[in-house]
Amino acid sequence: MPPDLRARIRRSLADPNLQAALDQNARRRMEGRVAAFASLPDHAARRARAHAVKEGVVAHLDTHLERFLRAVNANGIHTHPAADAAEAVGIILGILEQQAAVKGASTPGEPLLVAKSKSMVSEEIELNHALEACGMRVVETDLGEYIVQLRGERPSHIITPAVHLQRGDVGRLFAEKLDLPYTEDIPTLTQAARKVLRRVFLDADVGISGVNFGVVDTGTLCLVTNEGNGRMVTTLPPVHIALMGIERLVPSLDDLALFLSLLPRSATGQKLSVYTSLINAPLPGQTRHLILLDNGRRALSRSPLAESLSCIRCGACLNACPVFREMGGHAYGSIYPGPIGAVISGALVHPDLACLAQASTLCGACREVCPVDIDLPALLLRVRAGDSPMPDGRKGRPGAGVPFSVRLGLGAFRHAAGRAWSFALFQRLGALFSRLYSPLHASMRLPAWTGWGFSKDLPRLAGTPFRARWRTLRQDVQGGDSDPRAAPRTRPAEPTLPPPQTLVAQFTAELSALGGHVHVLRAGNLPGRLAEFLFDRGIERVCVDEAGAALVRGVEIVPHADPDVTCGVTGALCGIAESGSLLLASGRGETLSASLLPAIHVAVLKASRLVATLAEARPLLNEHHAAMVLVSGPSRTADIEMTLTIGVHGPGELHVFLIDDS
Amino acid sequence: MPETVQLFITCLVDTFHPAIGEAMVRVLNRAGVRVEFPSEQTCCGQPAFNAGLRADARPLAEHTLRVLDGAPGAVVIPSGSCAAMLRHGYLDLFAGQPDWLARARALAERTYELCEYLVDVRGITELGACWEGTLTYHPSCHLLRGLGVDAQPRLLLGAVKGARVIELPEREDCCGFGGVFSLEHPELSAEFLDRKLANFEKTKAPTLVTADTGCLIHLQGGLRRQGRAGRVVHIAEVLARGGG
Repeated sequence: MPPDLRARIRRSLADPNLQAALDQNARRRMEGRVAAFASLPDHAARRARAHAVKEGVVAHLDTHLERFLRAVNANGIHTHPAADAAEAVGIILGILEQQAAVKGASTPGEPLLVAKSKSMVSEEIELNHALEACGMRVVETDLGEYIVQLRGERPSHIITPAVHLQRGDVGRLFAEKLDLPYTEDIPTLTQAARKVLRRVFLDADVGISGVNFGVVDTGTLCLVTNEGNGRMVTTLPPVHIALMGIERLVPSLDDLALFLSLLPRSATGQKLSVYTSLINAPLPGQTRHLILLDNGRRALSRSPLAESLSCIRCGACLNACPVFREMGGHAYGSIYPGPIGAVISGALVHPDLACLAQASTLCGACREVCPVDIDLPALLLRVRAGDSPMPDGRKGRPGAGVPFSVRLGLGAFRHAAGRAWSFALFQRLGALFSRLYSPLHASMRLPAWTGWGFSKDLPRLAGTPFRARWRTLRQDVQGGDSDPRAAPRTRPAEPTLPPPQTLVAQFTAELSALGGHVHVLRAGNLPGRLAEFLFDRGIERVCVDEAGAALVRGVEIVPHADPDVTCGVTGALCGIAESGSLLLASGRGETLSASLLPAIHVAVLKASRLVATLAEARPLLNEHHAAMVLVSGPSRTADIEMTLTIGVHGPGELHVFLIDDS
Repeated sequence: MPETVQLFITCLVDTFHPAIGEAMVRVLNRAGVRVEFPSEQTCCGQPAFNAGLRADARPLAEHTLRVLDGAPGAVVIPSGSCAAMLRHGYLDLFAGQPDWLARARALAERTYELCEYLVDVRGITELGACWEGTLTYHPSCHLLRGLGVDAQPRLLLGAVKGARVIELPEREDCCGFGGVFSLEHPELSAEFLDRKLANFEKTKAPTLVTADTGCLIHLQGGLRRQGRAGRVVHIAEVLARGGG
């Protein structure tokens, strides 16, 4: 075990702010998850299906990957398989240097500006460090990642990077780095970051993002975010580079819908994240690249740890884990903390990290919450047994991280317990020793260095063990011929669903719960109501897409990407009642930017375009748009102290004008 | 003829708390079951298995299979953890050895934790036990999540005459025993222990019941060390008390 692991654990335990933050994270995330799954009555069946789908992908990884690459290439996205971190970094640097040359020709001396949205793979390959070393300016745009980057730290949680910090920490940081008056007001801090990062989005030469799912059939890249930064970096800069691990595949769009019903619920307790981007092709004038990273994943897929590649990085196992709740992410010393991190870090980050698997009680809370039903305790046991694949293809050392004294003790115990007579002798000698050690008390106060004695006493060994008592034990069997009955298994009652609602009522209720506004009106009233809406807010200039252009009267229509416009008016392909979501597509208009950049987004939708579920919206996802996005409410974050704050990078207000065309 | 079961006592009960074993025999007798004790048994090998030292675990697991193979009937264990080892752990341990794997499968199918056996196999929840006072129940992780056994011990405790059973706050949280974990990571183990004992104190119940002797020794040792009131008992000791 790296000698510093225990030291880092002790440091975490001694930090009351960290402990408070971790307790809060565990409590809120677990409550949110339970509430979110209550709305999914068949979640157990979905979980089993998700497990089977990922198992199939991992079992035939290369076949899936080959088909996926073909589809992505056919869509016009450049693909770059990378065997390891160094190769991935090299490829990205190659793309960026090309871009830098273009930029250098027009604005010499300006460093290349790279806007990044959260990507664990980029952390895995330590990309920022490499890019900065080459003189580029890299800015993390997820609020939590931005905070962590300003502090010169790495994320402490795969979903909530700044979970270890409190509002005062962020206030002091922003006061120092952004030259703001110190404040602990979370909306003020969020707005300050929004302002700085808005400039970054508009000026960035290249956007780098992760990928949540790659769809094999269609070559679609799916990306889920809440703040809107993922949409920004994949929509605005002329070059977009997406990074994904080769295992993050789902076979079809139907499977994607299944996983989208599980990922946000597990990660943040949402039915859908605010923005679910589906990227098929480059936008007009844009170049897209996809880096597919192996970096130990193929070796994992052929190892007894293959099941770990089913992970969808929701972070639920971190939130449920009592060890993570005490240690926090940084103490793991790996970018992948928590139970899943303890399983994969040895293979993907550094072989020494296999010892993290010892820091678990195998309590199984992680498996219970895993949306893909990964048997994490069994995998932790296999890592402990040395099954984590090593870079040179050898097997790892069994028991890595077990202290020498424990190893010695277990080896001796194996011989003692190998036969009944020697075990009985061991018991007798132990009992004698324990009476010598603690002649007066029934329990022994062992010293702290034994581990056991650190926090508790140990009972003396019994003077007469059970095996000796058995010989004189008399049995008194009662009612000897009782009939074994069928097992009265008690099953938890299925959660009852609320009575069915009309789609309009359900859509309105769901979107309102997310902080959006639904205005139901008749078609003839739309232009008047829209004009009234804009007039009331003093809005004189709007961004529009084609649908918006046909509706807006009496205001100036400006080209897209004008950062000063406060309102965008767009159409929508459909609305999804179960999650209060809108489906928007790039189309020929400017739907994506008009729905993203302004502070207020107005979407116009016919009620007949409402569907009940994401699965029902599935035929629309198949259309050949360069990019689509599901919008579920106004932009939000909970990156500071898990406090919900509305309006980060995307619009803070979302209004749906729903036309009653029944 | 009464049903006969094989008692796998576990090394912890055998060595530290034989009274739990005696209580368990009384409980099974009361349930109309005759108990046999294969006297060659020692330890299932879980400590080494959990540490990742499978070469040290395998001889003990093979020994256990040899001892139990010939003995007829269900194997009943006063521990969720050891029962989970026999039912799930052995299948992983012997995954590459078809002969042993077949034997492990056969054993897994007839292995039960005590509460699970009483309720699911025998269909018994009422054993005529009496206990004066308030109890609270700590579900051990391997019993609760490893074997999915939760309703069974609660039904059994609920039927104990005179006992008032109250809910332990954050009951499903791990107590921090974790076998060799408590030796390797004593700092973390101590944090879990404190949390669990604080929750126990909140109930004001004098007695904490659990169905795993590892948790019991760990929790009881924590109470002793901190000079806290209260005691920890095995569920067999509660079910064996009074009546009959």
